Amino acid sequence: MKQSDTKQPEYLHIRGEKKPRAHIIAVGGGKGGVGKSFVSSSMAIFLSQMGYKTVLADLDFGAANIHTYLSMGVPSVGLHQFFQKPLMKLAEVQIPTGFKNLSLITCANDSMDVDQVTDKDRSRLMSSLYQLEADFIILDLSAGATASTLDFFLMATQQIVVLTPEPVSVENAYRFIKSAFFRKIKRYEHQLNLEKVLNEIMEKKDELNIRSPGDLLHYLSKHEPERGAQLSELMNQFQINLVLNQGRSQKDLELAPSIKSVCKKYFGISCELLGQIEHDNAVWQSLRRRKHLLVDCPQSRLYTQLMYISRSLMKVKNKKAVV
Amino acid sequence: MTSARFNEQTYYEILEVEPGAPQNEIHLAYQRAKNTYSPDSPALLTMFSEDEAKALLNLIEEAFETLSNQARRRKYDASLTSPSSNESLPDFDPSDSHQKNDDEKMNVLKKREKLPEGFAKTKFSVYEVDENFENEIKNIDVVDGPLLQKIRLYKQINLEQVSNETRISKSYLSALESNDYDGLPAGVFVRGFVVQVARALGLDEQKFANLYMKKFKADNSEN
Repeated sequence: MKQSDTKQPEYLHIRGEKKPRAHIIAVGGGKGGVGKSFVSSSMAIFLSQMGYKTVLADLDFGAANIHTYLSMGVPSVGLHQFFQKPLMKLAEVQIPTGFKNLSLITCANDSMDVDQVTDKDRSRLMSSLYQLEADFIILDLSAGATASTLDFFLMATQQIVVLTPEPVSVENAYRFIKSAFFRKIKRYEHQLNLEKVLNEIMEKKDELNIRSPGDLLHYLSKHEPERGAQLSELMNQFQINLVLNQGRSQKDLELAPSIKSVCKKYFGISCELLGQIEHDNAVWQSLRRRKHLLVDCPQSRLYTQLMYISRSLMKVKNKKAVV
Repeated sequence: MTSARFNEQTYYEILEVEPGAPQNEIHLAYQRAKNTYSPDSPALLTMFSEDEAKALLNLIEEAFETLSNQARRRKYDASLTSPSSNESLPDFDPSDSHQKNDDEKMNVLKKREKLPEGFAKTKFSVYEVDENFENEIKNIDVVDGPLLQKIRLYKQINLEQVSNETRISKSYLSALESNDYDGLPAGVFVRGFVVQVARALGLDEQKFANLYMKKFKADNSEN
């Protein structure tokens, strides 16, 4: 992409601003079993079928299983080798799938435990993902909001949170978004020399009536106008895309706009509804037949719903490319 | 969320609509916001406390009350562009809740199995029976907004309770009680409102709706 000649704000050189070669999409969500892998694999299949060179990276360390969604056995090549060999390139552990234009990077090997992955390994992996030649890279993240998961989530160009209409899933999704929000602030506070100020504010948060991340930014903008505005501008780029999965009724589907509103009011950030996917038993029935739903049941309503989501991703990428 | 922060938002931002949004969009946004921030909404989980959600609901009601009425909306739009538009909206502090104390007292009375003689109760309240007024209600032949309000106040029910029960906005209820016909939707909807309000007040809903509509039609044909 051609760099713009217009003068950029000085703080844009800080970490996290460098553009990756591919459009990276991170799929997280806090709770396990909400359909992150199903959504990730479906998006990857659609995007590859649209002709985009797509890489699906299974980063669910310790519980990787996306190869099953792609009707594959456990690959013998994977991230464990990449981590063991410091000179190895990420492309060398990229394996073809049964779908044209779609390759897989996985950590589905019992020899690798999540505890064995060091910060240095993660940092190298992130850097390699940024360098990887592809149109789309889809990161399928693990459940929970660990620092590692959040860092992979935040490194992406586009962030997707998958949730189901169940209270536990909604609660976990909020917690995940909140953790990601604060993690992102944390990434910038050192560079913007805001550590001391933020610590002071957080110590007096009850007194200052600061109850949400949005309040924190608002207070900071008022009392530290320049740096507060810089941080707010960086945080404004943080946009969450929601995918509501396994909706069983109209009321379930109506939950999505409500969650969007709560996120906006609570965090003060933009939150978009990328799509809604209905509940369909065909998903697990296809899996039992070792086939992906998109291949096994193309007549399912989910096919159209997932295609709509994938097309939205394609539009976002093309829009960013033009800008 | 802080009340200060929300007080700096315009009514349009509170309802999450564009400033030029048509009435039907305002109405839809209001319904959506009311569902989102109602106490039993699953979308609220862990994000806003009950008091915070209540304060937000108050702001949503206030925003709708203004934006759903053409005259009030015009006045409000003008105030947004005037130099004095920097003034904050009234502060909604969830902790400053007289209603909460009243509710607590009422709950104690409501929990009593036997009420003191001369008292009666509704779903929401306990009130002192006035035989003369009870007879007046029974033999009523003209029903209008102020009468509905008189009955509501007599039964110690506040507007918010009626609004929560009927899902009718407080601005419509206020218009209904003050015979402000310009602030009400078409007659067919008004009849539905009266039926629901009468039901919430423990009245004969058909009789009250018929009598109210008789007066409503008479007043509107005069105009």
